[in-house]
Amino acid sequence: MNTNSAAIEDVAATLACVDVDDLVAIAALADRIGSLASEESAPAVAGMLQRAARKLRAVAEDRAKNPSANLAAANKLVAASSRTRKSEPAPPSVIEPAPARSLRPAEPEAAPRPTADESGEADAELVNEFVSESQEYVAAAEQALLVLEENPDDRPALDTVFRAFHTVKGVAAVLGFSRVADFAHRAESLLSPIRDGRARFGSEYATLSLRAVDMIRSLVGRTAATLQGQAFSLPDGYLELMDALEHPERIGVGAGPSPEAPPVAGDTRAVGDAPPAGAPPAHHAASAEAWVRVRTDRLDQLMDIVGELVIAHAMVAADGRVTADQARDLARKVAHAGKTVRELQDLSLSLRMVPLRATFQKMTRVVRDTARRVERRVELVTDGEETEIDRKLVDALADPLVHMVRNAVDHGIEPPAQRLAAGKPEAGTVRLSAYHAGGNVVVELSDDGRGLDRDKLVARALEKGLIDSAEGLGDQEAFQLIFEPGFSTAAAVTDVSGRGVGMDVVRRAIESLNGRVDISSVKGKGTTFSVRIPLTLAITDGMLVKVGGERYIVPSSNIRITIRPEPACLKTVAGRGELVILRGEAIPMFRLHRIFGVDGAVEDPTRGLVVIVGENEGCSALLVDDLLGKQQVVTKSLGEFIGKVPGVSGGAILGDGRVGLILDPVGLTALARQQPNLADGPPLAA
Amino acid sequence: MADEETGTVDGARTGGKFLTFGLGQEDYAISILKVQEIIGMMDVTMVPRMPPCVRGVINLRGKIVPVIDLRTKFEMPRVDLTEETCIIVVDGLAGEMGIIVDRVSEVLDIAAREIEPPPVFGAALNTDYLLGIGKSGGRVQLVLDIERVLSAREAARAAAAASAETTDDAANQETGNVR
Repeated sequence: MNTNSAAIEDVAATLACVDVDDLVAIAALADRIGSLASEESAPAVAGMLQRAARKLRAVAEDRAKNPSANLAAANKLVAASSRTRKSEPAPPSVIEPAPARSLRPAEPEAAPRPTADESGEADAELVNEFVSESQEYVAAAEQALLVLEENPDDRPALDTVFRAFHTVKGVAAVLGFSRVADFAHRAESLLSPIRDGRARFGSEYATLSLRAVDMIRSLVGRTAATLQGQAFSLPDGYLELMDALEHPERIGVGAGPSPEAPPVAGDTRAVGDAPPAGAPPAHHAASAEAWVRVRTDRLDQLMDIVGELVIAHAMVAADGRVTADQARDLARKVAHAGKTVRELQDLSLSLRMVPLRATFQKMTRVVRDTARRVERRVELVTDGEETEIDRKLVDALADPLVHMVRNAVDHGIEPPAQRLAAGKPEAGTVRLSAYHAGGNVVVELSDDGRGLDRDKLVARALEKGLIDSAEGLGDQEAFQLIFEPGFSTAAAVTDVSGRGVGMDVVRRAIESLNGRVDISSVKGKGTTFSVRIPLTLAITDGMLVKVGGERYIVPSSNIRITIRPEPACLKTVAGRGELVILRGEAIPMFRLHRIFGVDGAVEDPTRGLVVIVGENEGCSALLVDDLLGKQQVVTKSLGEFIGKVPGVSGGAILGDGRVGLILDPVGLTALARQQPNLADGPPLAA
Repeated sequence: MADEETGTVDGARTGGKFLTFGLGQEDYAISILKVQEIIGMMDVTMVPRMPPCVRGVINLRGKIVPVIDLRTKFEMPRVDLTEETCIIVVDGLAGEMGIIVDRVSEVLDIAAREIEPPPVFGAALNTDYLLGIGKSGGRVQLVLDIERVLSAREAARAAAAASAETTDDAANQETGNVR
């Protein structure tokens, strides 16, 4: 056994030093590891070794798409197998020679430890699958419950709910999550009388079932958190809800067999009315085989490799032997390959795109709950939910959207009586739509409520000292006031909105996605919020700038203009704070090389360039040496070790294979202002 | 947790295979199981506001990987790059990382009995990241706990924050070249 440990380390050592082109050596290593695997007694270790051997064989036989990555993976596997092997207890026969066999029954107790790694891994995979599947089922159930509330006789919707609870129950039980399984079971039982025709699905059923849906969601979430080593704890209200589900009649649900449905409630009722646009969840099973579930890290890996391919191609295309005059034919072929590579890149990007449908469906529930609480009647109409957007942005968009939707229901839509008095239909309409525009996704949220009251907004802003005077304030600027921190026109603080976390949080969230929010509103007619965010953060359109020996990418979306300043438009404040005067506007200038400590950069602004970034108070001028051209880059994280760097939003691989940092002009400006000796003076707006 | 997770303390006691490399006249050793690959020196992109030992980032097959200058980390003077300078890519707790060393020597078997506990210099020299002193093949190897060397991230952060406040005095003193 010990010889085997040493043998594995031997292999690891050779592997670390092997050259990727030395196919003979790699083939030999693959064989060596393969034979180690077959001698290995611990299945976990053997499995890892076998995988490593397979990776290497692929390289040796020239089948590997990325041999270096295969080598690295094999190395990791071998290292892992060695660790696992070391944690294996010494064979009992050595320590206690005689009764080894009779002690067997005790062994399995101790033995599983070393393999726990591997089996833990397998479990983690199952749990992950359970979590993502449950989330889908729960979302489908939620949607179906809302449909049922509208139309209690919708049998397919009822079936969807049952299927969801049932599946969650089944899988949770298999994985040993008894709390989740028990709960799902009760949730399922609650609706049995309805399926059997002994009761009708009224809105009190909907409310209770929706609470159950929320509970399952949070149970599943906590289950997922256990994978990160957190201890599992029951969410608040678990027991209470369990009880309510078992004895619904105690809280007045389904009390007595009600043959006739209580006509779906009166004026406090919300019409969380999603026209069941989009696919009914029932199609889920039917087209299952048309889908493949792929781990997102694989997609990221694909993007990385395709990015490498783009760079490799660019290098070939720029090669003198290709650009030479007599090589036209070759150049044409290279150009053709380039087109294919770009298509491949577009395709790999599109794999990360998901429709906004799920996000919109969430809003149905938000509208329902909010309308109920603030006693409005609201109809939600959605449009364009098939619009696709980067997966990572979907989640980031959901929170601000929830806030805006709540706001629209709470502040936008008037109470029914007021609406009737104003000659409007009693139920208000909130319309949520999405579409693509250029490289952006626009999500519009409009209501037919009272609209924004410009005068009230301005008065409020004056009172709070947010503005000094209302003079020259355009409509758009006045409306934008609601995004100022601490601005809230809601007279009463409700638990729905107006908790101090106001629209400023919304704006910040959207801006952090490189997006922006526009408002248009007509008093008495309604308000429309347009959220415009890029399709993806995975690609940054930028300008490559040179500063000393370094190159940075400034996102195009942040750049207003780039100028070479005339001596006449450079001013200083107190001898230190530098300003660029652009069309009468004084913009603070920061020297990028000083902020980042780069040597050898251009010191004289008239010999460099200034890039004007940001808007309004956030506007600043960055001094750089030169512009190197436009570039579209794949945005990458700088990794856990480097963490968040102020003024830098990420990194990218440039055309020559080097890493370039992507600047975050907003963070950069903030950073520059903190540094006392670089440039100070308040941002002077003309 | 570091001990258990990395197995390094254990690794020292039990011995095993180590990759040895040099910084100046000194020989260092790290467990081969931590080593992912060895690559030649390449262009490193500077990352602003990092502690001096963080040289920057490189492109490792499309992945951005941070690179640590081990000389700077150990407060040794900087030297010019040579043909032998290379980057050892290790698989650390915070993902892949490169460490710049003067040269890579060989893979050595160091038995547990050949590893002595690290010396204590007191306040003059911090030897926390040393697992022990290996004596193999008639030479002396400083056996590194590479996780510990690299997990200085928190410390590095603090240093970066502090240097940002004191306008980089410390940083300039130390190397005078990063900022």
